[in-house]
Amino acid sequence: MSNEEDREVKQREAGNRETARLWRAWRTVHELVQDRGYILSEAEVKISLEDFIHKFNSGDGNIEKNRMTFTAHPSDEMVARYSNPVTDRDPKPAAPDVGPIKVKFEEGDSIGIKNMRKFAQELTQESFHTGIMITSVNITPAALKIIPAVASETRIETFLEADLLVNITHHELVPKHVLLSKEEKSALLQRYRLKETQLPRIQVGDPVARYLGLRRGQVVKIIRKSETAGRYASYRYTV
Amino acid sequence: MATSQKPKSILKKASYPATTTSKEDRDRDLALYHADLIQQRKDIELEILLATETLIDYPLATAPYDASNPAPADAQTFKYLLRPFQPSDYDALILERNINERCGYTLCANAPRKESGGGRWRMVGKYGKGKDFKVVDKKELEKWCSEACAMRALYVRVQLSETAAWERGERGENTVKIDLRDEPKSDGDTVVEGLEKLQLAGDDSVKKQDTAHLALERGDRGPAARIGSVDVKILEKEIQRVPEAPSLEDEDLTERLDTIHLGILEHVGRESRGQKFTSMGSEKKMAIKRHPQRRISDTLVGYDLTLI
Ligand SMILES: [Zn+2]
Repeated sequence: MSNEEDREVKQREAGNRETARLWRAWRTVHELVQDRGYILSEAEVKISLEDFIHKFNSGDGNIEKNRMTFTAHPSDEMVARYSNPVTDRDPKPAAPDVGPIKVKFEEGDSIGIKNMRKFAQELTQESFHTGIMITSVNITPAALKIIPAVASETRIETFLEADLLVNITHHELVPKHVLLSKEEKSALLQRYRLKETQLPRIQVGDPVARYLGLRRGQVVKIIRKSETAGRYASYRYTV
Repeated sequence: MATSQKPKSILKKASYPATTTSKEDRDRDLALYHADLIQQRKDIELEILLATETLIDYPLATAPYDASNPAPADAQTFKYLLRPFQPSDYDALILERNINERCGYTLCANAPRKESGGGRWRMVGKYGKGKDFKVVDKKELEKWCSEACAMRALYVRVQLSETAAWERGERGENTVKIDLRDEPKSDGDTVVEGLEKLQLAGDDSVKKQDTAHLALERGDRGPAARIGSVDVKILEKEIQRVPEAPSLEDEDLTERLDTIHLGILEHVGRESRGQKFTSMGSEKKMAIKRHPQRRISDTLVGYDLTLI
């Protein structure tokens, strides 16, 4: 009898831990989406654990991941930052390569080709420009190959729940990274008479680059605080 | 004494009729050639991905067919789609099938078995006796519905080429020919397939193999040789005799020679495979065994064939 009670307590504790994990991942990915420039309300981003449980629990104490899916649209400011400048050579540039985003917490102990294909189809059918799949386990290598195969239709990113338990950009040792618009980028290169490849680099796989969804060719401004010099900026070219 | 006369070059004057084009032209051709290679690789990788997706849901046929007697159409598609696969791609397919609750052997419709109980290891065999006794990782057992399917799947795996499909060149398509441990038992299709195989062991294939060996020996791999930095035909008379190694210290070359030697074994193997078809229905079984000492680097020779 006491053994059984003991097990129940342990199960509940494990359930609570899992709930708290999901809540933290939820908050971080909302901050990520907001920091990239999509529109989200503060209430959505800063949801309390109690409200989170209230909203997503299935009745038996577990969180229903499939109800945690959310979507957002880019702000005008984000669209402007991704827009292609009008130049003499390119008087009618292509529309900015941004659009609505869908974030999904994928259920399952193993995520394979079928899960990824289904997500890709969902995004394409519902006209989402970008999709983020969050999983509790690693995705199979074959499933990851779907991502480049559908890149012309939709842009898929993946994160592990474990990577989102804390927001790395809030860490005091991580300086602020700001994506430059194409106009700002060319102004910078002109001012210093540089080629973009002469800038120091940041890899697309860098955790901060992944957080911001940086793409090859983009330039980020990194703002550091210094005790002696106040604030100073440096730049990185995404490769 | 200083002379105004230029020293005569000992090098032969370059006069290649094929390369009278300008440097820009050549640069462009080279760039195009590399772009083409990259595109080929991308295409094949996509082909493998789509094949994997298709084969997750195999077999399509239901009873009376099963893994020991697959439907001819399923078996044929399976073999066909598998051609560009490397063993690692095949392992990925097994994993994907397991995720979808299917036995790792593509032509089996069963669910993989679930090992109940904790612990990582399982004993297989007869109470610790007998030569088939093994200690196996539980995860390995959970890939298949049965030992038989594990064998069937492995039988296919050892026939796959270790060389990436985009590096195989033209000869690759002919050499990756897959046999199943349990072929379809309905005879119509099998006879046709058997005939195909017999033909493969014919003169044409021998010639192709010789050319392939020569290309190997000279280090011409993949499409490079095809696109024509080298014309293989010119040197055909030199392969009338067995090539000799200039130096055995050259490890790379020794390895290639090994491969050529193995290739001959493989050729013999093909003939015995032909026999298999003439003696079909008898109790002869065939074992496929990886050669243990050699690192097999070429499509021609992933295995030796022995009749047991
Ligand atoms: Zn099976």
